[in-house]
Amino acid sequence: MARTRRPRRPRLTIGLLILLSITIITLDYRGDAHGSISSLKSAASDAFSPVQRGVDDITHPIGSFLAGAVNGGKLEEENAKLRQEIGRLQQQALAEGATQNAIRSLDRLDHLPWTPGIPTVAAQVIAMNPSNFSATVELDVGAAKGVEQGMPVVGGAGLVGRVTATSSSTCTVLLITDASPASQVGVSYGPTSTDVALTQGTGIGKPLVVNYVIPGPPLRKGDILTTSGLQGAVYPPLIPVARVTKVSSTASSTQQAVTAVPVSNLTQLDYVDVLQWPQAP
Amino acid sequence: MTSADLARSTIVMFVVLAVQNTLLDSVRVAGAHPDAMLLLPMAAGYVAGPDRGAGFGFAAGLLADLFLPTTFGLSALVGCLLGYGTGLATRGLVRSSWWLPLVAAAGATAAGLSGYAILGAVLGDPGILRADLVPALTVATPAAVVLATPVVRMVAWAMPPVAPGRGAAIGVGAR
Repeated sequence: MARTRRPRRPRLTIGLLILLSITIITLDYRGDAHGSISSLKSAASDAFSPVQRGVDDITHPIGSFLAGAVNGGKLEEENAKLRQEIGRLQQQALAEGATQNAIRSLDRLDHLPWTPGIPTVAAQVIAMNPSNFSATVELDVGAAKGVEQGMPVVGGAGLVGRVTATSSSTCTVLLITDASPASQVGVSYGPTSTDVALTQGTGIGKPLVVNYVIPGPPLRKGDILTTSGLQGAVYPPLIPVARVTKVSSTASSTQQAVTAVPVSNLTQLDYVDVLQWPQAP
Repeated sequence: MTSADLARSTIVMFVVLAVQNTLLDSVRVAGAHPDAMLLLPMAAGYVAGPDRGAGFGFAAGLLADLFLPTTFGLSALVGCLLGYGTGLATRGLVRSSWWLPLVAAAGATAAGLSGYAILGAVLGDPGILRADLVPALTVATPAAVVLATPVVRMVAWAMPPVAPGRGAAIGVGAR
């Protein structure tokens, strides 16, 4: 016989839950309980990360298969290019295992030309974009390895984003493609790198919009934008950020319309470096 | 709700969370991925009515918020509204159609994502509405139709039906 329950007053329940939700949102938004909430999130992340990694080891092949099925058309095109490299890589793959490849990736990160003297923490991306409304990745390093909120993160080609939350063993990185104002990056361009502008993300996997580019100074398709170092010391200077893809302006406009793509492939991140860059007080 | 119901509900939430964070997050089209955590409140409302659907949705949303970079409590608010709304909308319907939970899943996912984006924009991030909502709706809504049946069955296992006959209509045997 099916168990039954006497129905309670649903309106009272939903009213209380809405009130409780709004209270929690207000406390976090205003920052009154931000520290406690951050600690709670950090503890949850630390508790869940072994489970996540264990399940990820089992399900990663399935996820890759599903991702390949969804992006089938794009993969066919990439396969054609990859076949040319297969012959050269086959012999190399026999001699060197995946561990050696990882070591090489990490070695490239160890000799980045634009971060001389800045201590770094090597990290691996363990999760991508848990939310559909925020461009973030999760790394396998946290406060225990010296990672702090606000530290810049770079890949082998250039800037990836900055750390926005940490637990003892993981951290969350906001990518420069995120559509929120927090993802903005001050960049410099021009022959003397003294002209400055601001990049703004437009969403996951989408190009950057470059704002405040005044007409006149030469900015061409293919130019590389680098961090200006003027943004309250959020990012060190001269880290490659994006490559210009389109420049246009009209005679009456006060700024040029510029779009760019990140130099790092933010949709296929694997190993990155967290720069232990001091923040402005 | 008994302690056994609570334990089963907790298990279901954590299983869906693990699948979401490991498997479903890898399936990306135009940067968006399916969202199974939004299906939990829908399934709870469908199976157990608006009252317990709201409670289950709140708890599932709060659990999801622990692992999301957005404002804490946002998913809990959307979850309790989704659970309550789905329970209200499906309460008086005859449960003989196999497609009813699929339609409920699609509608609830679209409503949940839209509500989430609107609330996020109100809280100071209009980029969510401008840039992220359309890809999320395009990917997550069809995925919800695919995932609806297993999620509804899992939630039905976790929560006993409110009235006789409701369990039979969704394929869950009497206990």
